[in-house]
Amino acid sequence: MARPMGSVRLKKANSSTLILGAVLCIFIIIFLVSPSSPATTGRLSTIVSAQHHLSPPTSPYQSPRSGAVQGPPPVTRYNLNKVTVTSDPVRNQEHILILTPMARFYQQYWDNLLHLSYPHELITLGFILPKTKEGNQATSLLQQQIQKTQHGPEKDRFKSIIILRQDFDPAVASQDESERHKLGNQKARREVMAKARNSLLFTTLGPSTSWVLWLDADIVETEPTLIQDLAAFDKPIIVANCFQKYYNPETKKMDERPYDFNSWQDSENALKMAEQMGPDDILLEGYAELATYRTLLAYMSTPGGKQDLVVPLDGVGGTALLVKADVHRDGAMFPAFSFYHLIESEGFAKMAKRLGWQPYGLPNYKVYHYNE
Amino acid sequence: MMPRHHSSGFSNGYPRADTFEISPHRFQPRATLPPHRKRRQTFIRLGIVVVLLVLVIIWFGQPKSVASLISLGLLSGYEDLKLETVRYYDLTTVQGSARGWEREERILLCVPLRDAEQHLPMFFSHLKNFTYPHNLIDLAFLVSDSKDRTLESLVEYLEAIQADPDPKQPYGEISIIEKDFGQKVNQDVESRHGFAAQASRRKLMAQARNWLLSAALRPYHSWVYWRDVDVETAPFTILEDLMRHNKDVIVPNVWRPLPDWLGGEQPYDLNSWQESETALALADTLDEDAVIVEGYAEYATWRPHLAYLRDPYGDPDMEMEIDGVGGVSILAKAGVFRAGVHFPAFSFEKHAETEGFGKMAKRMRFSVVGLPHYTIWHLYEPSVDDIKHMEEMERERIAREKEEEERKIKEAQIKEEFGDANTQWEQDKQQMQDLKDRGSEKEAGLNQGAAAKAAGAGAIEGQKN
Repeated sequence: MARPMGSVRLKKANSSTLILGAVLCIFIIIFLVSPSSPATTGRLSTIVSAQHHLSPPTSPYQSPRSGAVQGPPPVTRYNLNKVTVTSDPVRNQEHILILTPMARFYQQYWDNLLHLSYPHELITLGFILPKTKEGNQATSLLQQQIQKTQHGPEKDRFKSIIILRQDFDPAVASQDESERHKLGNQKARREVMAKARNSLLFTTLGPSTSWVLWLDADIVETEPTLIQDLAAFDKPIIVANCFQKYYNPETKKMDERPYDFNSWQDSENALKMAEQMGPDDILLEGYAELATYRTLLAYMSTPGGKQDLVVPLDGVGGTALLVKADVHRDGAMFPAFSFYHLIESEGFAKMAKRLGWQPYGLPNYKVYHYNE
Repeated sequence: MMPRHHSSGFSNGYPRADTFEISPHRFQPRATLPPHRKRRQTFIRLGIVVVLLVLVIIWFGQPKSVASLISLGLLSGYEDLKLETVRYYDLTTVQGSARGWEREERILLCVPLRDAEQHLPMFFSHLKNFTYPHNLIDLAFLVSDSKDRTLESLVEYLEAIQADPDPKQPYGEISIIEKDFGQKVNQDVESRHGFAAQASRRKLMAQARNWLLSAALRPYHSWVYWRDVDVETAPFTILEDLMRHNKDVIVPNVWRPLPDWLGGEQPYDLNSWQESETALALADTLDEDAVIVEGYAEYATWRPHLAYLRDPYGDPDMEMEIDGVGGVSILAKAGVFRAGVHFPAFSFEKHAETEGFGKMAKRMRFSVVGLPHYTIWHLYEPSVDDIKHMEEMERERIAREKEEEERKIKEAQIKEEFGDANTQWEQDKQQMQDLKDRGSEKEAGLNQGAAAKAAGAGAIEGQKN
């Protein structure tokens, strides 16, 4: 009479084997359950991911499994009274939005971004690129890097990344430095720039952002602690001093020179000039044709000067600009028209002042611009 | 046939009594359970162990890991892959067109709320009736400085609409933004519309609108529709009706119904207007922070108002270029807001909030249009004067009613007092009639008699005289 083998085996198994099996099971379970690294759980607990694709883009969302029918989105409450903006953003887990209008992609920019020491799970990146040949090129380069980062080591991954393609044409076809900076092209260029910044800002700000960092695509070198350093001053708007490193043929050494002239304190002269201008004319800085005699942040820097020197400003540049989200939420934007004869980031400073927010600058805290 | 269970031995013939002591076929009671029962028991034990373990793990607070454990750790990797962190949007696809519903263009519907609980039922009845596909409309509410149950009842209404079994009812993304601005200005009708409070009130309103928009606008929106909660009557097709004009910013005419004694109806929203020379000249004389508000005698601007141009029988599609807009019902392309146009919470060209919005949109060369003959109706909330007047009218009415009542009571009393007399009169009349009937045969004689009587009476009269 044949018996199935299984029963024979089971019959043979005694309690000690069972106990051994159970112990093994426990080990396996412990192995499975215990997180691979403590960072994972920390990350997971801080990210609030949405369940529906109709959700603020500043947070990731879990896409439904293929075939699953998704119901209508839930009713979501956001309490903006609880969104803090403090001088210690890391400790208070404040979400920051880094916004970059991009025409060209520089690898150094991305590398610098990855080196920022602010917890990446609190950082959302927003980019806006024109729909031109150059823009398409930059987009694909950017997407490659994003793909690499977001599937790379967990600590480097950003909370969320938004890429926008702008719905208007760039003013100047060429992005070459000399072409870009011609006075005649400036107004149209700054107008488009302002629109790009506003489009990016108002579609990505969302309900949980505490800080907005404007970082231009050609800023290739900053302190890794840029965000913490700027936030520590607890100013509504604060701008770093933008310099450029270059090879000085005279001293035959690498040297640096001021680059961004849009951060300044107003002068009597400039105000007088503005008075005589037509309603749509704008004042620009850094051109011999328009001698404004404003006090420029770029020239306030002194070698070996104190890093924490803060000066109030009337106009700001957008190269590395940290803004409390409240300022933007109140409506301060980058005017794409002559606002008190100012445009874009300078106009933004003026509008913020009209809303009761004072901009500041750091003469000795430098960030570096790309050099072509 | 042999009996299977023979008392003397086994069915196969064994044991033959005492042949061998150690027979392989000797019956021995089983020390252990049969294999299938044993297997089941093992499984039960294992199950208990697993359940205990899971409980222990949950006890130590790692539910996520348990989930991954149950799915054999396969799901966690899957979920990680499915966590979408990168979003790509092409803004050229969300420009907004005249027939947005055909191209699945999304609308963001923004509603600022403050102590508006009483208006919510009416608002949600409107919401149910919108003909624009609901799944293409995202709702955003800002609840600020509310002391009533606005927030709670709002959540209830919204959850009900999202759970509606009719698949055409639920809306898209729904965000409720809570933010308190520390409102110093009262919201009751009188203080809301008093001249002195206007500028600061409008700036606060503007701030609230900007906070709402900046938190709720997404890259996939083609349109933004601003709607006040206290609109009483509006066409269900208002979104399509306004959209068809394909303008950057467009507003309907806003009137309100009035009680008959106030004329039946009245223009309500005076913030939609065309700029005038007088107003521009006036603006030049004012200081930087001043805000011109319409509808007050203090600032005579002589501007043509959309509201006053209404002809009830006019063409509802007629357009009119305007410079300032009212905020009761604004449809704007999302591109307008993306370009940076917002509700100035400061004095922008001497205007704030929605009027400043219109001005800024104009400044950025967007088209700003009003429809003078397309009307929606704002709720009528009586002002303090109206209430006084109404109280007076009420008193008059009560006095009148009282008078009426008194009159009635008097009548009733009279009736009661003289009611018998009345019936008496009837009886008398009847008797007289009877008498008349009965006496008709002896008429002649009676006539004579009567004549004699009359003569007699005449004599008496004569004597008297």
